[in-house]
Formats: sequence, structure tokens, C-alpha cells
Amino acid sequence: MAGKAMAQEAVFALRETIARMEGKNIRAFDTSGDRAEEIVSTQEKRERLPFEVDALDQVLDGGLPLDGLTEIRTGAMKDAGAASGFTLAIAALVQNERNGISVGQGVGNGLPILWIADRLAVLEAGMPYALGLMDFGISPQTFLHARPRKLEDALWLAEAAAASGAFAVTILEVSGNLRHFGLTESRRLSLRAKTAGRPLLILRQAGEEEASSATFRFLVETAPAANRYLADGTMLGGSIGHSVFRLTLERSRNPTPFSLLLEWNSHDRRLSIVHTPAKSVLANGTAAYSGSDLSKIVDRSGAAAAMGTRLAFERAS
Amino acid sequence: MRLVGCDEEAGRLGLRLGQGLAEARAICPNVIVIDEDQAADHRLLEGIADWCDRYTPLVALEGRNGLFLDITGCAHLMGGEAALLEDILNRLSQMGLEVRGAISSSPGLSWAVCHYGDNRVVRDENREEALAPLPVAALRLGPNTVAALQKLGLKRVADLMRTPRAPLVRRFGAEVMLRLDQACGDDEEPISPRRPVASLSAERRLADPIKSEDDILFVTRQIAQCLLSGFEARGAGGRLFELVLFRIDGQVSRISAGASRPLRDADRITALFTERLASLQSHLDIGFGYEILRLNVLHHEPFESVQSDLAATDRRHLSLSTFVDQVAARLGPDCLQTYQLRESHIPERAEIFVPAIEALPLGKQMPETPAVLSRSERPLRLFRVPEPLESFAAEIPDGPPTRFRWRRLTHQVARAEGPERLSPEWWLDDEEAATRDYFRLESTAGYRFWIFRKGLYDRDPTQRWFMHGLFA
Repeated sequence: MAGKAMAQEAVFALRETIARMEGKNIRAFDTSGDRAEEIVSTQEKRERLPFEVDALDQVLDGGLPLDGLTEIRTGAMKDAGAASGFTLAIAALVQNERNGISVGQGVGNGLPILWIADRLAVLEAGMPYALGLMDFGISPQTFLHARPRKLEDALWLAEAAAASGAFAVTILEVSGNLRHFGLTESRRLSLRAKTAGRPLLILRQAGEEEASSATFRFLVETAPAANRYLADGTMLGGSIGHSVFRLTLERSRNPTPFSLLLEWNSHDRRLSIVHTPAKSVLANGTAAYSGSDLSKIVDRSGAAAAMGTRLAFERAS
Repeated sequence: MRLVGCDEEAGRLGLRLGQGLAEARAICPNVIVIDEDQAADHRLLEGIADWCDRYTPLVALEGRNGLFLDITGCAHLMGGEAALLEDILNRLSQMGLEVRGAISSSPGLSWAVCHYGDNRVVRDENREEALAPLPVAALRLGPNTVAALQKLGLKRVADLMRTPRAPLVRRFGAEVMLRLDQACGDDEEPISPRRPVASLSAERRLADPIKSEDDILFVTRQIAQCLLSGFEARGAGGRLFELVLFRIDGQVSRISAGASRPLRDADRITALFTERLASLQSHLDIGFGYEILRLNVLHHEPFESVQSDLAATDRRHLSLSTFVDQVAARLGPDCLQTYQLRESHIPERAEIFVPAIEALPLGKQMPETPAVLSRSERPLRLFRVPEPLESFAAEIPDGPPTRFRWRRLTHQVARAEGPERLSPEWWLDDEEAATRDYFRLESTAGYRFWIFRKGLYDRDPTQRWFMHGLFA
């Protein structure tokens, strides 16, 4: 009898380990028996960062994993500002969270943020600006940036930074889909982040969807901002208020497509949902060029649409 | 064409320095002539000087073919002065160099004995008798002075020693007597070493040369442990380390690595060099292996012993500084940077990038409040150099454009905030610098930009517009 119990114990332990490795919900397959409570408590140890936006937290199983890889992607370089904004918003939230813990223990300065910049993206969109960061709600004192010359150096930096545990968030910016940054490398980074228990954000500027080992992937586009609020709660017409992003969850365990507009309040350092966009002018790729539009036939994709259920994206690079 | 150097064989045949090439060919038709390359000679001399670092850290170059080694306090390590001299001469001769050397208590006397005497150690008590029989040229005098002295019959240093000093000074200037005093040791003569002396240094001499990177790091770790007592005596930790590798064939490599805060721990010092070696791998030619490894501390700072508290703050700072050191050692100190704010209202001047290795612990120099209190919102990403753009239908004189074209895309402006007028810093720029009017724009598609107009409309009607940053 005792032997059977021992064996069951071992099986549970193995299942738990596998589930942790796969980042799965442990409760989903085992809630029977007296181990349920224990399992629930171990699951709560797996840290999540709630966005405090109910709709989003629900889809993300309670929030952004704090010990893993998350990818944030833009379709074109012109969205670089919005994507940097959303990434830094997450960084600010993580920093808040970490500081919240450390302040409780009576420690002053928070953990820094590391931004590993990409050469091309810096040329196209500029470097993060110290005063701008301050206005965005991030202290430039706790912000380090690196500009490695090669992709290998950037990957090494990201890996070492995630493993060192010295940073609240490590942000690796890449532009496009790079041949030497594929599934293998992302798996490696993800494992490193998991071991250290620190979040690693990949900010892919102007890139396609491709197979990666990120738990979630967001597509960020810019959206018109709301007006500024006046003291009495009315809006000041013609002014530009807090930044607004259109967020699309492209990869998650939840199969339903999900998209919403989020506003970052830099004073409260929190995201909130925008239900009605300030204006309905959302130009979806039309008339971006002043010249004559290309005929639609040029824009058609070359290959026939894939048959059946899509299991994984092909490499885009 | 004249001979500037010749070997022993040529000397025996009767060739002299300064002889014409034609004359030399007449004496010996099959003489092998090589063009002089002063730069290469200098490199060789420097290479030998590097090699001589194994005897003393104070090595100075002398002229085009000499070295001065200050061996004060070093001789006993090699088993006495005579043994030291023999060791140097033997090893250099084995490398195929023709060497002469002498040891004495003054550089002038050593020079004289080594150039005009034989290889030996001159004791203090027989200084004068060693110097007296040498020719006056041994005093490092100019050729004209030597010739003039010889004409007077003053051929040996002994003659000069006996002659009254005043008439000689009147005739030849102070140089002759100065050189004589320097050779006799009556006048102190400094030598100028090539490298600064390390504040702390430890080395290992190996019986068998090591070749693999792991072995180098293993020995480095052992040497670093030897430094610990030196650090503790000074209450210091090293900020800048240098690993000197003496290859068995005489080549010397120096690898330096900096740390963001004073270090004592052997493991962390070794970790610095692990990264450096990894990044240098292709440049470092290990060849037949290294026989001597030396670890120098080039710069040290007071070491604050920290007692770790329960909240593990120190461990956190420690892990950050370890990471910063690791990156600086591998990718260079400029790769990882942090911001420092400066009091300037010109946007690109308000921040500067500082290497993180110099800025730790973070935020120590940063004021809490920004220099300019009332200003409009700044963009999240700023272009280092503002990009020119084409604007259409801007309101005159101070309004934003209604449309503009940037990077071949036309953006329709939906809303604009501004202008925020920034005057040039006349105390830095010249008076010509233009005023900038900044606008925060949102296009109809929702992109938020930070653009500015250079110059004022009434002074400069050709309006030039620039893109300076992107908002989130």
C-alpha cells in the first residue's frame, strides 16, 4: 500500500515537472484527490504579472509570465514607437512589481531594465530618450542600454543578462526575421529566462510571425490617442492624451483571436482599456503613399494558401 | 650609402661603421647588404624591452640599440647580480642576438663598461678603476667633443679625472663634467621606464609552458589568490588588471581588463579574463605556450568590505556589477551604457551616455528632479541627428504643418500640440544658431511624432522642418 502511494507520488512529481517545463496549467489535468491544494499552491508560485485589465488577464491565464520569453512584434518599422511604448510599459509594470516586493523588505532602489538595441532599429527609430523615459514613467537611473555590434553579441548579452538575475526585465530588440535568430536560439533564451525566473522580452521590429518558443506573442500597432482630461473630467478638444496601442494576441494557449485598444497612463503607471477610440479614422494601409496606389494584383501572395490546420509557422527568415 | 651596422664577421674583415658601401664592396665583394629599417629596429628593441620585464618592471630604452634595466631590489630573485647578468646574456644570445651587458651602480658607468669594456658586474669600491682605462668616448659625449679632447691628448677617462675641472668647463661647456660625474656616480641620473609600475603584481614561472586556455585561467586564479594579502594590507581592491603572458619564444602579450568596482575575489578576477580570452581567441597566438604569467594591478581603489544584509541588496548590486564587468571584458567598456542627465534645454544635449562600468552604483550622480521643470512631454525615442522633412501648408507664422512628408510617406496631421519654443544656447553655440519650435503631432493613422521648425518665420521665410523623435 505504502509502495503504491510512493509510486503515485513520484508520478505526480514528474507530471508537475513536465507541466512546469511546458508552462501548462497544472490544475487542468489533475484536481482530484487530496493533492489538489498542494498543486494549486505550487502553481501560484509560478509568477505572473497581472495587467489589471480583466479582459487581457483572462486570456493570458492571469497575466504575463515573469519567468519566460514574450515576443512583441510590429508589422512595419513605422509602429516602432508604439511597440517600444508597450514594451516599456510592461517593463515599468514589472519594475513596479519587483519594487513592491523589495520596498516591503526595506530596500531602496529597484532593479534596472536592460535594453539591448538593434543597429537598424536605432537608425530607423532612434534610441530611447532619457527625458522621454522619465515622462513615460520609467526612471532613467535604472535604465541600461547596450548597443552590440553583432547579433551573436546581442544574443550572448540577452542570455547573460537573463541568467544574471540582475535586471527586472531584459529587452532584446531585433529588426526583421534574422537567419541566426530562429527557434533554437529563442528556445535557449527561454530556458535561460525560466531558470533565472526573470522575464525576457523580444521586441521584433518589422518582422513576420515565425515559430518561436515565446509563451505569448503580441502584435502592436499604433492607434489614435484620446484627448487630454481636464480637471473636471471633460476632455480638451484637439489635444493628444495618453498613448494608445492596438494590441493583438497572436500566440497563446487560447485559440480565440483577441484584439483590444490599451491606453498607458504614465502617471499612474498602469494600462487601461479604451472602449471607444477617440476617432474612427483608422487608416489600414490605404493611401499611405502620395503617389498612385499599386494595383491589387501586385500585392497578392505568391503561394497558395496552406491546407488544413496550421500547426506552426514556417520560418520567415 | 653608408654602413650603419655590421656583425662580428664583417668587423674581422675590416668593415667599419660609417664606411661607404662602395668601399665595403671593394674590401669584400660578396658582402650581404640589407636596407636599414629604423621602425623595424625600434619594434625589435621594444620587443626585447617587453621580454626584459621578466627581470624588472623598470625597463627604459636607450638610444637605438640599448636598454637600461633598473634592477634595484630585483637581483636577489635571480640569485645575485652576476647570475642575473649571465642569465640575460645567455638567453638573449640563444635567441640569436649579439648582446653585451654590465651591471653597476650608475647608468653612465654601466653604459661605458658595456660599450668599451667587457661584460661584468662593477662593484662600488672599484668604480674608478673600471672607468679610468676607458676611452673618453665611453662618457656618451658627442663626436666633436671627443675629437677635440683627443686633440688635446685627453684620450682616456683617467686623463680627464686628473685634469682641473674649471678650464675644461670653460672650453667644452658643462656636458663633459656632467657625463663624468654621472659615470662616477656623483650625479644622479634618472632613467625613464616605458611603463608605469604596477601597484601590485604577482607572477608564476612555470617549468613547463602551458598552452590551453583552461590552464592559463587556472594559473591566473592561483596568482590572483596571491594578490589577496597585498590587497588586504592596503585595504584596497583592483579596478584595472593586466595579465602579462611571456611566451616561450620571447613574445609578450598583455591583456587588460577593468572592473566596475574594486575586486579582490580571485574567482571574479579570473572571470574577467575568461571573457577577455574568449573575445581575443583569434588574436592571441599561443604558439609553443607561455612560461611566465604575471598579474599586474594597474589601478586600485579603497575596498569597502560589505556585510551582507538579509534583504540581499548587496547580492543584487554584486550580480549587476558582475554582469557589467563581464560585458565590458567581452564587448568593450562602451557597449553597455547608462544615461546621465545634464542641465540643458536642448533635447539632444540633456542626456549623455556614460559607460555603465564607470557609473555603478546606478543613479549615484543623477539629480532626482529634472533641470527644467516646466516643459512639454518628451518623445520616447529620439533621433541622434534630426531628420529633415518636407512640410506642406504650415500655418504662418507659428503654426504646425497640416501635412508633411517624411521618409517618402505623407502623413496627414490630425492634431497638434505646440509650439514649444526652445532658444539656442548662445553661451555654447554662435549667435547664428536658430530657434526651434517643437510640435507634438498625431497623424490621422495614429502615429505620434515630435517635429520642429528651425528658425523664425519673420527672419527666415524658408521654413526648414525636422523630425526629432517618436512618441509611443
